[in-house]
Amino acid sequence: MKDISLHLLDIIENSVRAKADQISIDIIIEVMRNKLLLRIKDNGIGMDQNTLSKAVDPFYTSKNERVKKIGLGIPLLKQNAEMCGGSFKLISSPGKGTDLSAEFKFDHVDRMPLGNIADTMISVVIGHPETDFQLKLKRKLINGEIRDYEFSTSFLKKELGNVPLSYPDVIQFIEKDINEGIKKTQMEEF
Amino acid sequence: MKTLEELRKIREKAQNEMKLRESSNRIKVVVGMGTSGIAMGAREVMKAILDEVAKRQLSDVLVTQTGEKGLSSKEPVVDIIEQGKPTITYGNMTPEKARKVVAEHIVNGAVIDDFVVTRG
Repeated sequence: MKDISLHLLDIIENSVRAKADQISIDIIIEVMRNKLLLRIKDNGIGMDQNTLSKAVDPFYTSKNERVKKIGLGIPLLKQNAEMCGGSFKLISSPGKGTDLSAEFKFDHVDRMPLGNIADTMISVVIGHPETDFQLKLKRKLINGEIRDYEFSTSFLKKELGNVPLSYPDVIQFIEKDINEGIKKTQMEEF
Repeated sequence: MKTLEELRKIREKAQNEMKLRESSNRIKVVVGMGTSGIAMGAREVMKAILDEVAKRQLSDVLVTQTGEKGLSSKEPVVDIIEQGKPTITYGNMTPEKARKVVAEHIVNGAVIDDFVVTRG
C-alpha cells in the first residue's frame, strides 16, 4: 500500500467482512506531539485472542490459511507505522467490535502520505450502502487551535431520504465535501 | 459537513428523476476490493466506473464491491452480473480498461474477450 488512504480502505473492508454496520474513522494530527493517528472502530463480530494474534503476525500461520482467512493488510499497516517511529494497536473481543490504531511519526521522512481519503470514502460508501460511516478529521495546531471536520453517512441518509448515496450528484457532493474538510483541517500540510 | 441547502437540491432533482423511470437494476458491477486488489489499483478502477456510469447517466447500473476472490494474480477484477446471462469476470483492470468495459459491455452489450478471466 503506498499511502494511508489505501490502508484505510483495506481495514474498512475487514470491518465490513466482520459484519460491522457502524464504522468510525478518526485521523488526528498533533503537530506539537509530532504524531498522526489513524483510528478505525467498528461494531463487527470482533476477534478472540487467537485470531487477534494471527491478524497482526504475518508469519503466524501457513501462507495458504493466512491469505484466505486474514490477509496481509493488517501486518502491512503495522509494519508501515512501526517502520517510521510509530506504533500499532489492535483491540478486539468477540461481540465487542474492533478498535485499530496506527500512529505515525508525523515528520518522519518515510511516513506514507495521506493519499486520497475522499476516494476511499466514496468507494466504501458506494460499496456498502447499508453500513454507516463516520469520518472525523482533526488537526491540533502549534498555537493550540483545533481544526476539525466531520462526515457522516447517517446524516446524509437522513437528509437525502430515499435518494441513494450512489446517485451521481451525491457522489460528487461527498467528494467535494471531504476534500474541503481536508483543506480546512490542513491534513496534507506540514 | 456543510450546506444542507445543497443536499436538498440534490434530493429534489433525484426524486424527480426517480419518478420518471423504473428503479430496477439491469446490471450489477462488482469490484474486488481485497487487500491485493486495493494494492493493485481497485479503488481507481471503481472510481473510473462510477465516473463513466454517471457521465452516461446509466441509472439502471448498480456499482458495488466485494472482498478477496482468490484471483490475486489477476487483480484488480471486476464482475459484470446481468440477469439471465453468465457472469463475466474481467481481470488486470485499469481505469482505462474499466471505462472501455462500461462503454462496450454495459452500454453496447459486447463482452470484451481480451479482458475476460472467467465466465460463468
